[in-house]
Amino acid sequence: MSNPFEQEGVEIAWCPGCGNFGILKALKETLFELGYEPHKVVLVSGIGQAAKLPHYLKVNVFNGLHGRSIPVAFAIKTVNPELLVIAESGDGCMYGEGGNHLLHAIRRNPDITVVVHDNQVYGLTKGQASPTSEEGFFSKVQTLGNLSTPFNPLSLAIAQDASFVARGFSGDIEGLKKILKEALSWKGFALVDVLQPCVTFNRVNTYGWYKERVYYLGENHDPSNRFQAFEKSLEWGERIPLGIFYTHRKPTYQEKFYTQIPRSHLLYQGTLSEESVAREFQLLV
Amino acid sequence: MVDWEIKVGGAAGQGVQTVSEILSLMLKRSGYYVFSLEDYQSRIRGGHTFTHIRLSDRPVWAAKRYLDLLVCLDPLTYQLHHHEVKENGLILGNFGLGEKSTDSHRFISIDFEKEAVQLGNKVFANMIAVGAISSILGLAPELVAAYIEKIFAKKGEEVMEKNKLAFQRGRRIVGIPPVLPTRNSMPNDVPQFLLDGNQALGLGALLAGCTFYSAYPMTPSTGIMNFLASKIREYGIVVEQAEDEIAAVNMALGASYAGARAMTGTSGGGFCLMVEGLGLAAMTEVPIVVINGQRPGPSTGLPTRTSQADLAFVIHAGHDEFPRFVFAPRDPQDAINIVRRAFYLAEKYQVPVIILSDQYLADSKVSYWNLEMEEIPDAPIQASDFSDYCRYALTPSGVSPRAIPGGKALVVVDSDEHDECGHLTEDLDVRVAMHEKRMKKWEAMKKEIRLPFLVEGKEVTLLGWGSSWGVLREAREELHEEGIDAGLVHFNELWPLPGGLREFLEGLPFPIVVENNYWGQLANLLEHETGLSFARRITRYDGRPFLVDELCERVKEVLRNVQSV
Ligand SMILES: Cc1ncc(C[n+]2csc(CCOP(=O)(O)OP(=O)(O)O)c2C)c(N)n1
Ligand SMILES: [Mg+2]
Repeated sequence: MSNPFEQEGVEIAWCPGCGNFGILKALKETLFELGYEPHKVVLVSGIGQAAKLPHYLKVNVFNGLHGRSIPVAFAIKTVNPELLVIAESGDGCMYGEGGNHLLHAIRRNPDITVVVHDNQVYGLTKGQASPTSEEGFFSKVQTLGNLSTPFNPLSLAIAQDASFVARGFSGDIEGLKKILKEALSWKGFALVDVLQPCVTFNRVNTYGWYKERVYYLGENHDPSNRFQAFEKSLEWGERIPLGIFYTHRKPTYQEKFYTQIPRSHLLYQGTLSEESVAREFQLLV
Repeated sequence: MVDWEIKVGGAAGQGVQTVSEILSLMLKRSGYYVFSLEDYQSRIRGGHTFTHIRLSDRPVWAAKRYLDLLVCLDPLTYQLHHHEVKENGLILGNFGLGEKSTDSHRFISIDFEKEAVQLGNKVFANMIAVGAISSILGLAPELVAAYIEKIFAKKGEEVMEKNKLAFQRGRRIVGIPPVLPTRNSMPNDVPQFLLDGNQALGLGALLAGCTFYSAYPMTPSTGIMNFLASKIREYGIVVEQAEDEIAAVNMALGASYAGARAMTGTSGGGFCLMVEGLGLAAMTEVPIVVINGQRPGPSTGLPTRTSQADLAFVIHAGHDEFPRFVFAPRDPQDAINIVRRAFYLAEKYQVPVIILSDQYLADSKVSYWNLEMEEIPDAPIQASDFSDYCRYALTPSGVSPRAIPGGKALVVVDSDEHDECGHLTEDLDVRVAMHEKRMKKWEAMKKEIRLPFLVEGKEVTLLGWGSSWGVLREAREELHEEGIDAGLVHFNELWPLPGGLREFLEGLPFPIVVENNYWGQLANLLEHETGLSFARRITRYDGRPFLVDELCERVKEVLRNVQSV
């Protein structure tokens, strides 16, 4: 059987060799292998090179504003919990422009997956530093070298007790698929930061650079141990860990809402009658 | 005929708003028509706050400046408002050392707080005032006591008893017989509804089938969120307090895309943050209703005061061009229907609809004998069970059949320019076709708009929009009674402007546009759209609404100035 998520005849606007291709392949295959049907999946994205990904799959798409994919994804999942909802976008989109939404999505714990294409650079706007760029990173804007230190998404998410926190590498599609399978099947907010080489604007963090450093967390890593997870999230440099860092199963926003409000969804069901006005105002008269 | 103006003032934290809530409801239940407005500061304790209640035997739509009864919970209220009391008017309360300025008023000196302390706590001061005022107004004590029992029941037996005692003490110590004829309540023979603008906006949304409201708290729109949140269990609606207004509008759009009827609400500053989202709504053609409760600005401005100064902003807000509706309800009853209509039109044309409320409308209560529900059709979402679906299929009207995700149709929407199937494109011919598709809706949208309300007058015509309705309506009547043949033109649907407006407005005798802003934004808009001149403008931008008698004076002043030229 062919993969129903395959989008025929699209022209892909990524540079040859871009790390985004690996993420696209991994996601497409994961969705298929998990047995999802395209019309039950919604991909929500922002703006950037990464954010074009939904157009290259056959799914429902909400390609919204730069930085704003998470609030949209939260609402779609809340209105119709039967849909699988994935927000995906670049590091600039998710950690920069939309950083506040990430913080608050962790608190809400909606049952969505957030996939961040972390190329440590603003690709689409041609190479400026992103929140995850290394200190000293040079660009047309960072002419003195990046004066800021990088944002650590995993430490942040673990510190905030996010329900599922993982890191993948777009250069290892099979490894990334394993992580995505867990993330998409997870009940609760799942953050997957994906290291993604940018072949045009990031000459430091190349495929080779990553391949020398990445390794998978082994058997002895216990994702339910928050301290261990946090400690691992600080490791960066000579060696860079990949895998599922942290998991904490707790009630999702949608579970909490729908156990109190007995409706399976909030899809429009018609207007209310005038009697309900009268009834409503028994309270006010 | 009874037609009374009452003002109750005090410091924030003294419970003036509770007095207002109890009195306006009890007056209504006693058979009066009521109008009330709230004036408060952006603080939790101290300062000065007041409520203004008008009660009458006939329907009332606005307040007047001169008072029949002034109730002072603190001496500052006396200092600030004693000059507003009519000759022979009554002043009740704590005047402090403030000299009693005139012999023409009747004074009843009661230090509410001191009396309350004798009951154990100064918090009972407001309930003593309720007792005193209700006695003066001739309200049935059982009626008020029962209501006090009801509202304090949640807080426990002791609090309830203390408040009832306070109420009775107030009745006793007032020391004069009722000034108004005593009333018994006859539940069926009284105006049935009493609601403020925020409740009405929320109620309209519920009636329209809204199931998703996301917002960030901001006066004066927070009341909409409070109202809807109080209905979550009964109606199954999500009310999400977003992390900011950007999240609020994007959540509402996500919800609407998924098939809910969704709304967000804010005030000017928050609306500024939502503007990119407004463009997203236009580009993705996802229907949405946005309420902007205006307050004076720019920037944070006067958080708790009123204004009508965002009209020029909201009709143009957003980059590039796109069609939208802008409505401004006249009163709470109108707000219900406007919100229902907003949802209908948002879905029919798949465009954003902006509703301009303001602090005056949001916080003012109006009583109605009955609420009239306008007949509004439904614009159901098209079936979503076809597999080669294209969200932006080109049609003669520019409106494409809308599907929601979950059915067989794949729904692809994009903030980038896109092709018929929703996919990102940089094909400039497609861009032109898509832009024209969106813009094409405008002509049909224009036809939806109704001409403004009109009462013809031979000498002068007042023009206004939104919440000034009640004031203008009463001012026109009052001018009429004084022998000035005044007319009225009033807009509640502002954008697009209706076709035929020039013919409609041409030749109106002596137009004066009345607005709560500096420029005269409606006047400018009408001049621009019709080519007619609207040079005479009465404006107010101190954060307070117009009052009927004050407005009449200003109209007469304009008329006098012309005559003396
Ligand atoms: C509100 C807003 N600000 C700025 C931009 C311009 N912009 C588009 S993409 C982008 C950054 C992209 O970086 P990232 O999210 O990391 O995605 P990448 O291209 O690297 O995949 C910026 C600044 C925009 N589209 N919208
Ligand atoms: Mg990037």
